[in-house]
Amino acid sequence: MASRRTGAPAAASLPARQTRGCATRCRSVREEGGGAGTYQVPGRGGKEWYFPEGRVPPFPACAVRDVKMAVRWLGTVSWRQSGQLRGRGRLQAPGSGRAQPGRLCSESASLQKTVSDPGVPNEEVVIPRRKTWDKIAVLQALASTVKRDPTSVHYMIHDDPFLIPKSSTEFHIFALSKQSGENAAKYIIHEFPRYFERDIAEPHIPCLMPENLIPQIEGVSEAALKERIQLRKVKASVDMYDQLLQAGSAVSLKTTNSLLDLLCFYGDREPVRDYLPDKEMTEEFKEIAPIKQKEGRYLRNTKGIGIYNWRENNNAERIFNLMPERNAHSYCTMIRGMVKHGAYMKAFIMYRDLLNERHRADVGTFNALLLAAPRMKENSVERWELTKDLLTCMAQQNVQPNVLTFNNILKGLKYCGALGKTASLQVLNEMKAVNIEPSLASFKHILDTFDVLPGGTGKIIVDILNNIERENVVLQDPDDPLFFVTAMQVCMNLKDLELGYRVHRLLETRGRWRLLSMNLQYAYCARFFTLLCMMEQIDEVMKWYKEMVPSLLYPNYKIMHDLLQAVDAANSLEMLPQVWEDLKQFNHVCRPEILKQVLTLMTREQHPQETQMIFANCAAEIKSMLEDSENTLFSHKWIASILGDMAIIFSRAGRTQDAWNMLEMLQKQNCVPSVLVLDEVLNSIKRSNLPDQALKLVKLAAEFSLPTTPKLASRVLEEFGLSEEQKKILKNISDDSDSDSDSDK
Amino acid sequence: MAALLCRQNWAARVRVSKGKKLVTYEAAHPPHYIAHRKGWLSQHTSNLDSEEGAAERLVEDVFIRRFLHGTFVGLLAQEPVLKRRANVLIICLVLFQNIAPAKIYFLAAYTETLFSHFYKCPVKLEFQTVSSMLVYKYLCAPGPHDWMKKPLPSSASWNFPRL
Repeated sequence: MASRRTGAPAAASLPARQTRGCATRCRSVREEGGGAGTYQVPGRGGKEWYFPEGRVPPFPACAVRDVKMAVRWLGTVSWRQSGQLRGRGRLQAPGSGRAQPGRLCSESASLQKTVSDPGVPNEEVVIPRRKTWDKIAVLQALASTVKRDPTSVHYMIHDDPFLIPKSSTEFHIFALSKQSGENAAKYIIHEFPRYFERDIAEPHIPCLMPENLIPQIEGVSEAALKERIQLRKVKASVDMYDQLLQAGSAVSLKTTNSLLDLLCFYGDREPVRDYLPDKEMTEEFKEIAPIKQKEGRYLRNTKGIGIYNWRENNNAERIFNLMPERNAHSYCTMIRGMVKHGAYMKAFIMYRDLLNERHRADVGTFNALLLAAPRMKENSVERWELTKDLLTCMAQQNVQPNVLTFNNILKGLKYCGALGKTASLQVLNEMKAVNIEPSLASFKHILDTFDVLPGGTGKIIVDILNNIERENVVLQDPDDPLFFVTAMQVCMNLKDLELGYRVHRLLETRGRWRLLSMNLQYAYCARFFTLLCMMEQIDEVMKWYKEMVPSLLYPNYKIMHDLLQAVDAANSLEMLPQVWEDLKQFNHVCRPEILKQVLTLMTREQHPQETQMIFANCAAEIKSMLEDSENTLFSHKWIASILGDMAIIFSRAGRTQDAWNMLEMLQKQNCVPSVLVLDEVLNSIKRSNLPDQALKLVKLAAEFSLPTTPKLASRVLEEFGLSEEQKKILKNISDDSDSDSDSDK
Repeated sequence: MAALLCRQNWAARVRVSKGKKLVTYEAAHPPHYIAHRKGWLSQHTSNLDSEEGAAERLVEDVFIRRFLHGTFVGLLAQEPVLKRRANVLIICLVLFQNIAPAKIYFLAAYTETLFSHFYKCPVKLEFQTVSSMLVYKYLCAPGPHDWMKKPLPSSASWNFPRL
């Protein structure tokens, strides 16, 4: 079917293309990354295979579509011509020496213009634009076929049982030691660069050569200053600047500005490099003294102490004051540096100076000021007013906002209470009006404003999820990965499992696990798992547990607690041995609360005998652990219930001796066993038919002065076949206890 | 034939002497067993026809082995095996479990980075850990009454190391 296309190149260009030899044609396809080409028959002129309509080509399906496209714009091709061409192509394709393996067509392949037979009616031919591929497009395509492997550990960990970490702390230690090994090597390389300068790599690999960190230009000059700035040597550049001023030579504005940039970015301290030789490190350590500022701290400092370290009269301010002329760039740099390092008041003072000098601030400066605004005022109304002032200034100066601007506004609004809720929706509308796509961080801040505390409604997050699922998300803001953690927190608060699954699916698509750092990944998985334990069936919970542990998550005490509660709620106590194994592996058995929970679960009901045997094995392990540690681990209140439960388990499993040992241990600890314990132990003694043991039990009970002693005595009398002597002893004991209880009255 | 001359040859052979020697598979076989029962410790293509660089590879190997011997002190259960594939140098080690795993990670990352920068090519370290020596043979000097005893049972461990 002939379809006319517009914008076709002139027919005169066709012969030119045709003369390109097979070699060049093939090479161009290869340059395009190999994904874009159609199936090229290496032959004369590189003709395409084409078939008349309706004929099924003997190729994989994706070739068909392209071939049909070819057919469509060529118009109706006569059978004879196609037959000829096909014949020609076929002769050369199979045995061709040129290695062109079957390159399958992708969806939107760039159609290579092929020969136009004089017989073909002259259609308008549109050459689609050449599609360029990234250098790593093939690798990315391959990577997208592979999903995360839940049975393996992190890629960084070596695949050896001795070297696999068993807990989160171990994993961090291994990661840190690996990095410090690399730093040690880099230290050696920088200390002795002369051994590493032999350049035998062809082509040259710059990252494997030692870095030149020593400034080459000696002497006092502006070029030397520029070099030091470029090498990021803060102290050396400040010294050089001072020397230049003392020598009397003027330093250009541009250089001074770049010096100010350096100082403000690093906050007047050296950039941290672990592998520097020692002499530079010791100088740095003298300067560390972060000063806590009282002003501008109306909001709780959640980021840590290190953020407020803009010292009074530091080099940046000094140089700024010394500058004979300052332009807008200088003011902007100073403001941004001050905000970055926590001097909010000063930033606003500087901003006022900027306005007085009638300079124009840029987007970055406004972003920084918006970040600082909420910390300047106490009241939410005042904060919002200040933010609006800044925005009006921005509009007056005709500065275009970007994504970060809006994100910073939204970040500030979460401290504004109820006012913040209405305002943030307005801000979202503004974003859409200015045609800026809201990033994940903006959604995160909105969630913070609305829903993070328990008790919020779930409407906002549903809208947000709809929005995100529709489009592909690109990272724009350093706060973006925090979105997932916040979203999962909200789902947890709302106790909504469906939403949780949706958020998780968002993360699973397109390998977005890479967005999360290790800490964030842990926080996210912990929340997700808590949600699952609360809401899901036990089978599903175990399935997710197997998937997430230990590749993503090393469970801590709280997660294990939740898991045990889920097992409890679902009443499927046959999972307990598995959970016990995991508890042992992650070293949670030292905690008495966990032990207590596990044991209470085990002793709640009677179980079939095999389960009891397994429980008894677990109890035996606990016992050996207790004996090893000599009871120093556990405080008094845990011991009684733990030992009692262990005694019950042993007696139910028929291990009388162990049960008796437990009772003795109880006695040693001066804890009182409960009635249930004694009953169960008596049952087991009965089963193993040891009347002496029974007598000892009653004696034990009498020593504790338990009120159930007479009941026990009567039971022993009935159920056991006692000799006369034993009956007399029994009577003595019960009499003693009676008299004791009488005397108590 | 080669076995008959073994009395006079002393290259890479562990001989019986006083005391009990624990010998790995690789050390227990003399060099005439290479390509029969033993593999090579250093694999590269520069010994093929019209390939260059054999001498350089040799010098690199010597340096690498000394370096590994000094860095992983007391940890090498066997001689390291060096494999060269395209540009990459792969060093295969079998280590003992004497030290903490964190320290093994440290040493491995240190070695990899240092070698990469030194030889200007990617260097990968592949190692596995083993709890005790992989003994193939025990060599004990015969005592005065040993001719009366039965031959050693085959309970000597047959752990063939991975080469």
